[in-house]
Amino acid sequence: MVRNPQENEGIDRLGSLILRAAAQNDSATEAAAGAPFLYTRVRARIAEEEHRRNEAGNWFSLLLIARRAIPAMALVAFLAATIMFWSASTITPGWNRLDDEALADTRNPGVEQTVLSRNNLSRDDVFSLVLDETEREKR
Amino acid sequence: MHPADERTDDALVAAAAAGDEEAFEKLFERHRRQVARIGGRFFAQRDQIEEIIQDTFTKVYFALHTYHGTHEASFKAWLAQITVNACYDQLRRARRRPENTLGDLMENESADISTQLRAARSDIEGALVSRDLALKLLARLSAEDRLVLTLLDVEGFSVAEIAEMTSWSISKVKVRAHRARAHLRRVLRKFL
Repeated sequence: MVRNPQENEGIDRLGSLILRAAAQNDSATEAAAGAPFLYTRVRARIAEEEHRRNEAGNWFSLLLIARRAIPAMALVAFLAATIMFWSASTITPGWNRLDDEALADTRNPGVEQTVLSRNNLSRDDVFSLVLDETEREKR
Repeated sequence: MHPADERTDDALVAAAAAGDEEAFEKLFERHRRQVARIGGRFFAQRDQIEEIIQDTFTKVYFALHTYHGTHEASFKAWLAQITVNACYDQLRRARRRPENTLGDLMENESADISTQLRAARSDIEGALVSRDLALKLLARLSAEDRLVLTLLDVEGFSVAEIAEMTSWSISKVKVRAHRARAHLRRVLRKFL
C-alpha cells in the first residue's frame, strides 16, 4: 500500500521521538557506571573467561591430535583390509583347487572318499551299483 | 597511584596488553561512563547496563593485542564498536527470552499507548513520551532494527560509521535502516 509521504514523515518524527525517549536513561546509566565492585566483577568475568578458554584450548589440542591420528589410523585400516582380502584370495582358491584335483586324479584315493561322502553312499552301495551295471551290460 | 596516570589511552593499552593490571584498571576507570552511556541507549535496567559494562571490558581485555591506535580518538571509537556489539548480542539474547518480548499488551496499555501517541503526533515539538511507553513499543522491533535506528537517530552516527561499528556493509546498513523505519511505522500505525 502506497502511503502519503507527508504521513510517513510525521510517523518517522514520532518514531525518532520514541527512540530518544527510550534512550533517555541518565539515572540508570550513572547508577550502573558507579556500581560498587564493578571492576572486581569485571576481573572475575575475565578470570572465568580465561578458564573457559583454557578448557576449550585443551579440547582443541585433543582434537588436533585426533586430527593428526586419523590418517595414520586410516592407513592401518587400509593395510588390514588389504591383507585380509589378499589372504582370502590366496587361500580360498587353494582349497578349491585341492578339491578339484582330488576329483580329477583317479590315482588319488581322496576321489573315492569325496564321492562317497558327497552322495552319502557306503562302500557296499557302490559295490552293488557296479555289479548291477555289469549285469545290465551283459544282458 | 601509578605516576603514569596521565598516559594516553594507547600507552595504557600497550601496557595492559603487556600484562600491566593497573593500566587496564585505569582504562576501565577512564571509559566506563562512555560504555554505560551507550548501554543506556538500549537498556533501561541498571543491571542490564552493568552487564554491558562487564561484557564490554571482558571483550576489550581479550582483544587488547588486536588494537592498533592511529590517532587520539582511536581507542574511544574501538571501545564504542565493542560496546555496540555487546549491546547487539544482549538485544538478541533478550529477544529470545519470551518474558522480554512484550508481544501482548494489556488492553488498557494499548489504549494508553494510543492516547499518548495521538497526543504526541498532534504536537510533536512539545510532546513528551514516557520511557516506559517507548520501551514497550521498541520491544516490538528486532535487535537489528533497534540497533540501527538508535545509532542513526539518537547517537547521530553516519551510515559509514555504523557499518564500521557493526562490521556490516554500507548497503546492508542502508537496507536495514529502511526496513527498520518501515517496521517502526507499522508498529506506530497500529496504535494511531
